[in-house]
Amino acid sequence: MAEVKLDAPAVEAASGPLREVARMFLKNHAAVGALAVLLLIVAAAVIGPPLYSDDPYEMVWAPFSPPGADGFLLGTDYLGRDILAGLFYGARVSLAIGLSAALMSVGIGVTIGASAGFYRGWVEEVLMRFTEFFQVLPTLLFSMVIVALFGASLQVVTIAIGVVSWTAVARITRAEFLRIRELEYVMASRASGAGNLKLITAVILPNALPPIIVQAALMVGSAILFEAGLSFLGLSDPNVMSWGQIIGSNRPYILDASFTVTIPGMAIFVTVLAISLVGDGLNDALNPKLRQR
Amino acid sequence: MTSREEALLTVRDLRVRFPLKAASLFAPKRYLYAVDGVSFSIARGQTLAIVGESGSGKTTTALAVARLIDAYAGSVNLQELDVLGLDREALRAARRRFQFIFQDPYSSLNPRLRAADIVAEPLPPMAADARQRIVDDLFEAVGLRPEQQRLFPHQFSGGQRQRIGIARAMAPQPDLIICDEPVSALDVAVQAQVLNLLRDLQSGRGLTYLFISHDLGVVQHMCDQIAVMYLGKIVEYADRLSLFQNPLHPYTRALLSAVPRVDPTVRGGDRRLLLQGDPPDPANPPRGCRFAARCPVAETRCHQEPPALRTLRNKQQVACHLVTEDAVSPLG
Amino acid sequence: MGAAATLEVRNLRVELTTRDGISPVIDDLSFSLRAGETLALVGESGCGKSMTALAVMGLLPHPVGRIAGGSIFFDGEDLVAASDRRLRDIRGNDISMIFQEPMTSLNPVYTVGEQIAEVLRRHQGLGRRAAWEHAIELLNAVGIPDPAARVDSYPHQMSGGQRQRVMIAIALACKPKILIADEPTTALDVTVQAQIFDLLRNLQRETGTTILLITHDMGAVCELAERMMVMYAGRKVEEGGVDAVIAAPRHPYTKGLIDCVPHMIDNPTAARPPLVEIPGIVPPLRDFGAGRCLFAARCAERVARCAEARPEDVDFGAGHRAACWQAGAA
Repeated sequence: MAEVKLDAPAVEAASGPLREVARMFLKNHAAVGALAVLLLIVAAAVIGPPLYSDDPYEMVWAPFSPPGADGFLLGTDYLGRDILAGLFYGARVSLAIGLSAALMSVGIGVTIGASAGFYRGWVEEVLMRFTEFFQVLPTLLFSMVIVALFGASLQVVTIAIGVVSWTAVARITRAEFLRIRELEYVMASRASGAGNLKLITAVILPNALPPIIVQAALMVGSAILFEAGLSFLGLSDPNVMSWGQIIGSNRPYILDASFTVTIPGMAIFVTVLAISLVGDGLNDALNPKLRQR
Repeated sequence: MTSREEALLTVRDLRVRFPLKAASLFAPKRYLYAVDGVSFSIARGQTLAIVGESGSGKTTTALAVARLIDAYAGSVNLQELDVLGLDREALRAARRRFQFIFQDPYSSLNPRLRAADIVAEPLPPMAADARQRIVDDLFEAVGLRPEQQRLFPHQFSGGQRQRIGIARAMAPQPDLIICDEPVSALDVAVQAQVLNLLRDLQSGRGLTYLFISHDLGVVQHMCDQIAVMYLGKIVEYADRLSLFQNPLHPYTRALLSAVPRVDPTVRGGDRRLLLQGDPPDPANPPRGCRFAARCPVAETRCHQEPPALRTLRNKQQVACHLVTEDAVSPLG
Repeated sequence: MGAAATLEVRNLRVELTTRDGISPVIDDLSFSLRAGETLALVGESGCGKSMTALAVMGLLPHPVGRIAGGSIFFDGEDLVAASDRRLRDIRGNDISMIFQEPMTSLNPVYTVGEQIAEVLRRHQGLGRRAAWEHAIELLNAVGIPDPAARVDSYPHQMSGGQRQRVMIAIALACKPKILIADEPTTALDVTVQAQIFDLLRNLQRETGTTILLITHDMGAVCELAERMMVMYAGRKVEEGGVDAVIAAPRHPYTKGLIDCVPHMIDNPTAARPPLVEIPGIVPPLRDFGAGRCLFAARCAERVARCAEARPEDVDFGAGHRAACWQAGAA
């Protein structure tokens, strides 16, 4: 045994897979730029309201004051409220709804997809039919029904978005589980006495995460859009200022004072685009095939 | 076969089947009989090889022995333990007594775990320092350096990964280690390292191997007993020297003669017994001997009556109507 | 030697661009392939055997790989200087290739007949009907039973051995002068391997095709090849007749490659000595091209000179060549 020569040392400091992902991500300039923009938006959401104005509903000036005039950088809306204050405050709401709806759909989707992919058989059959049922529902209509039934509060809107958007996560998770459950290290864990719960949560799920993370990132963006859509239709919580709500409430004046609609629209556009680019960068960084080169 | 010593593992009449997709909802259920009545035993410290080509059921047999897939009939006894009769909880505890060394050193290690954690995975719960002592010992035994414990699988070469897999299999001091094609995915130059390691560990620690392989050179080098499988059944079962010096079953003959020799003095395909065609569909096996359709000496009886595995006077076991009691093959 | 050579590779250098810079994956390689012979290219993965085949085919991975020097003469024509169009023409008609994995190299959505006929129509200008009939003949030639019916099968309806036969039929469709076989039997069962060996031998006897066999399996080398060439880290380390090299290898790497795998023998004894190990692994790409023996780090017979200069390729008679400072001592 002693004379067994070792293979060439593969030691380049104990760099974990995470560091490799970070290295790949940093190579993608668009994604890094998008991440910077995103951090800026988050910072604005956090420190904007206390520093600038903590009441976006306050009527501060004459209505429809154009951007830059009278000391209001982005102008005022139809009730004379400061649009910049609304944007700061709305960023909090939009981001919060985006994050929590995405988290919720990841929770539902992973649970359903993992169970279906791991247990196979009738469990898979039932769960995937269930998923397909949700997939074919007209999502906007369905969430409108939920909001109409349970009232337009922030929680209900979040749940409505989460409930209609988990199916993609479920399908991705199931596909990953189907692939990974057949790999030999899973069999090795089973042969070591690991139970089903441990196999699902500690062995397969961590290895299935990369595409789920990417999907979750993209879902934050689409949840923000969805909320904006609901608000625009007047179906979001009227007592909470979100970007969609600013657009929705100024909708009648779109021709006379278009800035009241386009400015919050730009905020949504930039945020969702940044999230998409970050998600794209994550996708490339987490894809082991691209990592080889 | 191993009557002289007490058998560690005894497998009797093991049968595994997989349901086939039914043609219609009301059609009778059909099965693929992947393992169809297989019996063998292994003594402690010995190596039994199951050899066969793809579709022979050799890997399915190994998985069923460790109860990683379910057998529908037969028995597996690990000393006193009735493996197929265990309930869920007892099975989980018993799992540590069987360990696997897998074929693919890339897919057999969890990429998210560090080498030390992979090796420690099959260990029962214990204090951290006791666990570390065991891992240190195993790393040394398989020829890896202690500082490599902190690395992730992708930082190792194929041969080193297989060493980690071997260390993991030895960790819970299992009674039986099942080696499923342990070197066939490795680069040629690394195979010797791994095979030598497996043999050193066996003589040093008294390990018992169930060795699954299609590579007869490796089998000849590694194993004490050999069972040859064809389409779910054992066709010949003998100790190493008998099987390679006097193969009896026509399939064994064909299999051995198909292996290219690396020896300038015995080259040439003339001595070869070339089989025609492919094995029959395992979902629809022939009525008689499963090898009859490709057998150069098959008679009418072979097509009608399945031959049983019988023990000859010299203790060799063979499932062929035409082999005599004095161990003379129909091929001479 | 040059007269009867179908393919002559001279001082070939192929460079690969990686994260670590540019490395010569093939470094000053010269060999020739005589008409009608089978030459085996042997070595571990990462030694440049497949890269050599790709360079000959003009199929180096674009844009990371390129031919940086030397020449490849095919029937007197330098392929390194040839246009893409000319290379495409040669690839279909004069040099063809079969791969290790017959499942992934056949297109799953076309029947095998369509795939063979397509090659015949494109490269030989046969009509639809003639191509179809010729496809059936080819399937018959490669030993597919009932070819008139099997011509309508899809790849997934065939066994691995039959798919490899179809691949061979496609490769032979245009009567190539050179057939490059990259690990043609590695993915197959032993008894099927024997059938494919048999088929390749018979086809070669009938058509006189020259075969370049790429393999890591000494068994396959002994089955099919007359001559062999061992490569290590992009360089040729030994070349010669198969019998001579197997019986008395001159390079320690060749010796190691032969001994490190247990080969089946006909009369085994109870004694089973440990296998000879080649310690370590192939050096990383960035070390390729260094001015020393690249095998020295794994070699038991190394001397000081091995680390100082690249060994010369020396002829030891009868075309048995080796590049090792110690080869003469043996």
